[in-house]
Amino acid sequence: MTQIPTAPSRNTSITSSHLSKKIPLKSAQDLIILDNITLHIETGTSVAITGTSGSGKTTLLGILAGLDLPSSGQVHLLGTEISQLDEDQRARLRLGKVGFVYQSFHLMSHLTALENVMLPLELDHTIAAPQQQATQALQQVGLGARLNHLPSQLSGGEQQRVALARAFVTHPKILFADEPTGNLDQQTGHEIIEHLFTLQAQYRTTLVLVTHDPALAARCERHYRLEQAQLELQ
Amino acid sequence: MNSINNVFYAIWQQGLRQWRRHWRMAESRLLFLALLVSVTAVSSVTFFTDRSDQAMQRQASKILGGDLVVQSTRPLPPVYQQHASTLGIQSAAITSFPSMIRINDASQLVQIRAASTHYPLLGSLSIATTLDQAGIPTPFSQLQSGHAWAEPSLFAALGIQPGATVQLGQSTVKLSAVIRQSPDQGAAVFEFMPQVLIAAKDLPATGLLTPASRAKFSLFLSGDSPSIQTYRAWLEPRLQTAETIRSLDDGLPSMQQALQRGQRFLSLAALLSVILAGVAIALTSYSLSQRETATVAILKTLGASRKHILLRYTMQLFLLATSAALIGIILGFLLQYALVYLLQDWMGEQLPAPGGLPVLSGLLTAWVMVLGFAMPQLTRLVTLPPVHILQRHRPVVLNRTLIIPILALVSGMWMLIWLQVHDTTLSMVLLAGLLVILAGFWLVARFLLWGLQHMQRHLSRPVRAFLNLPRANFRIALLIMVFGVGFFSLLLLTALRTDLIERWQATLPEHAPNYFLINIQPHEVSAMERTIRQYSQVLEGTHPQLYPMTRGRLTHINGQAVVASDFDSRRARGLLDREANLSTAQTLPPGNTLTQGHWFKPGVSTGLSIEAGIAHVLRLKLGDILTFDIAGEAFRQPVTSFRTVRWDNMQPNFFILAAPGALQDKPRTYMTSLYVDPADQQWIPALIRQYPSISAINISTVLSKIKTLIDRAAFAVQTLFLFTLLSGITVLFAALQSQKAERRKEIAILKSMGASHAYLRRSIISEFMLIGAIAGLLAASLAMLVSNLLAYQLFDLNPALNPGLLLTGMTAGALLVGTGGYLNVKGLFQVSPKALFQEQ
Repeated sequence: MTQIPTAPSRNTSITSSHLSKKIPLKSAQDLIILDNITLHIETGTSVAITGTSGSGKTTLLGILAGLDLPSSGQVHLLGTEISQLDEDQRARLRLGKVGFVYQSFHLMSHLTALENVMLPLELDHTIAAPQQQATQALQQVGLGARLNHLPSQLSGGEQQRVALARAFVTHPKILFADEPTGNLDQQTGHEIIEHLFTLQAQYRTTLVLVTHDPALAARCERHYRLEQAQLELQ
Repeated sequence: MNSINNVFYAIWQQGLRQWRRHWRMAESRLLFLALLVSVTAVSSVTFFTDRSDQAMQRQASKILGGDLVVQSTRPLPPVYQQHASTLGIQSAAITSFPSMIRINDASQLVQIRAASTHYPLLGSLSIATTLDQAGIPTPFSQLQSGHAWAEPSLFAALGIQPGATVQLGQSTVKLSAVIRQSPDQGAAVFEFMPQVLIAAKDLPATGLLTPASRAKFSLFLSGDSPSIQTYRAWLEPRLQTAETIRSLDDGLPSMQQALQRGQRFLSLAALLSVILAGVAIALTSYSLSQRETATVAILKTLGASRKHILLRYTMQLFLLATSAALIGIILGFLLQYALVYLLQDWMGEQLPAPGGLPVLSGLLTAWVMVLGFAMPQLTRLVTLPPVHILQRHRPVVLNRTLIIPILALVSGMWMLIWLQVHDTTLSMVLLAGLLVILAGFWLVARFLLWGLQHMQRHLSRPVRAFLNLPRANFRIALLIMVFGVGFFSLLLLTALRTDLIERWQATLPEHAPNYFLINIQPHEVSAMERTIRQYSQVLEGTHPQLYPMTRGRLTHINGQAVVASDFDSRRARGLLDREANLSTAQTLPPGNTLTQGHWFKPGVSTGLSIEAGIAHVLRLKLGDILTFDIAGEAFRQPVTSFRTVRWDNMQPNFFILAAPGALQDKPRTYMTSLYVDPADQQWIPALIRQYPSISAINISTVLSKIKTLIDRAAFAVQTLFLFTLLSGITVLFAALQSQKAERRKEIAILKSMGASHAYLRRSIISEFMLIGAIAGLLAASLAMLVSNLLAYQLFDLNPALNPGLLLTGMTAGALLVGTGGYLNVKGLFQVSPKALFQEQ
């Protein structure tokens, strides 16, 4: 197991110290998903987390993003300790600063590509001209001609590019990606990865990536493997 | 100020944007449709009732014709009028009775109203001198002696113009003007006879008024409130039997009560569509909430707060409800014109413009519907943890407490019912009834499905397949319940409208009498009998009997004074409140059956035979001595028999028959009923020419008018039930939509296992047809039960099975649900199983 400095520094986007996640079971001992994990992710870097199915990668991602809370330990997201915050306070912390990309895209089926990308901009009333920004974001991923298409009219690769545009449109400080190529063929997956890393570099976004794909993990600056509730640097 | 405006503008813009986006979801469109249907139904009825209520209030005092009215079937003592004038109260007297107007060979039954000079006390008369001229307000004092004013229908019926001279009893009268409007015209229904106004001083010359005439004597009084109260206090102890006082506090005239009941029925019809639409909204909101879980989770990951989510859905539903309500209110406003057209005969006059209340009621209905049926489901999404978006394979776990949604649903239903009936107790009873019906349908559906599953070895393969699907039982029972309630409301009205009227008409013999001849004077009896014999060929071999009619009021039973308020039965009170018609008969009349005692022996001139029903409510037994007040004299007789009567046989029927000769010295007229071949009806005017005082009432005209009125009222209610059908269809689609994701998965599994298109089509169609057939059968059975209960209660008809209704219910249900279901699901057949799995 690798020990990483615990104190958050100015260059740190995410820090976890002694993070554990247990699920209490009535009939047996508690199920330990994450055990005493300490992690330090520096701003602008890319980190891959791999592991077998059910190893707890996605649970860790959810806790680091402030979507879920640990059973014990601390998590600092953008310098703020999240376990003391309620759900709304954590949401406010993410607003405009955290983006997500999912394996199954999670686009709103009744919204056009443009409207899907405008969604995070509309949540922040201070943002001016959301339509213009969303158009630019879609143009960046090569979908300038498909602005008014519904997800059902787009291919899997195109849908994931819309999801990328949605994730990057607010120029987030951190992007969490959960198996972004899991539902795509190799060629399309490769194109998506290229877009992902280009945008990450352009906006100096901290990238936390959960994947099964060793090649994808290898493209990240750091690669951790989660096994038996413990995190190991590869 | 500007910044506040900007914020509102931004919120409004965002709301509109969201509205446009949500419109793309089938669920949103269904919600809109359900709201639109219910608001249209509710506001059309509310617009209509609002207008007719205003008209009723405006008419109420006019119809009464004064602040206080004294009425009697006998002439009122002059002291009533004299005392009123000493108190400074204005008064006017009117004597009204039916009679015939003749001109050449034509004759027409009319209602004569002989009024004193001060008539009318309230409102004004408006007359015209030609048939196409508008009315001009004219004081009644301008009616000259020897002249009469009549309603337009008299001129039309006789084919004459104003100015014509007609025969009224022994007088010749000039019909000098057409009555365009009279203040106490009242509701037009059941006044089949045109009204003819004459001056009171001209009445004696007609010779029409005899002690036995069916006349009504009214004294209208108008003055300030204290004087009227003083007068009433003076009058009440002096009132004779048969004299009654009416004021505005004594309630609405019976016609308006009927209209009020009609309004209530319409409201209930609208309510049913609202409740069904509510079911559709609840189902759609459920599927919307399932669909929106991903949206809410994504919004939360992007930084949306719970408040934001709550506001988003609240605003969405508010916009949806308000826009549906506004369009529904406009449609309802247009539709109420159809209701006014259908029901105009029930209201006496032009309706005033509607007020703003229906608009408010339409908006409230829509808001209550989204608050009660949609909000609770969607606001549960607020509790969805954002991490759900990463937990792809875990089912959605929303806040499990169902108490709030159920409470909201039940109180929402109650609010909607209350908005329609404005009566707390009644709304509670209706809510309970509705819940019982829903529970009943649910339980019977579950039981039937359980039975089907136990005999599935004998069923066809597709039916077996659908019964085996996981959770299908629950899903199917739910569909059966919602369709069942919808079909029930439609079938019940169909049963009431067609079945009842047809059954009642079928009970009439082929040559049932179609004419009643009344007011035959004693000296005309033998001549009348000769004339009838002379025309016996026209009478199709029937031998009508002439019955004497003497009016008397029951005052004592076994020497004890009877008071109407001592009896619970409305029928008993009705009999004691007014004068009854007593008759005599040599032999037991047709349609009568003795139940107790003996019929009058020849030569016996004492004894009474009483109708068994009225004997029961008056608690009479054989041997009781009854005392009647007949024209101020006591008439005392023992009860010697009881008998049942078939009231609907179109023969003269009497509650009380006295022994032949018992009424010999009492004032009386005679009546009879005849069947006259419609081709030979000129016989009747000839008869009237011969006997001027006789009134002939054509029952078939009256019956057909009643039938038209009932038909139109039923049609108005059925128009409303169209909305119930529309709501039912919305429920069908809502229910199908809510189960589409589940069904998509099932079809994918079946296809992956090799099910062919033909197999899927067969199994889907069988499933929906079976659901429709069961729902239709249950609905038809309940409709038959309820309509039979009503038939027994209201029309005294014996219960009858109507297999046609059961068959209609089953077939219509199977076809409607089968077609709708198949059309909704068939799109899924074309998609490959792989694609189905990839869809979210």
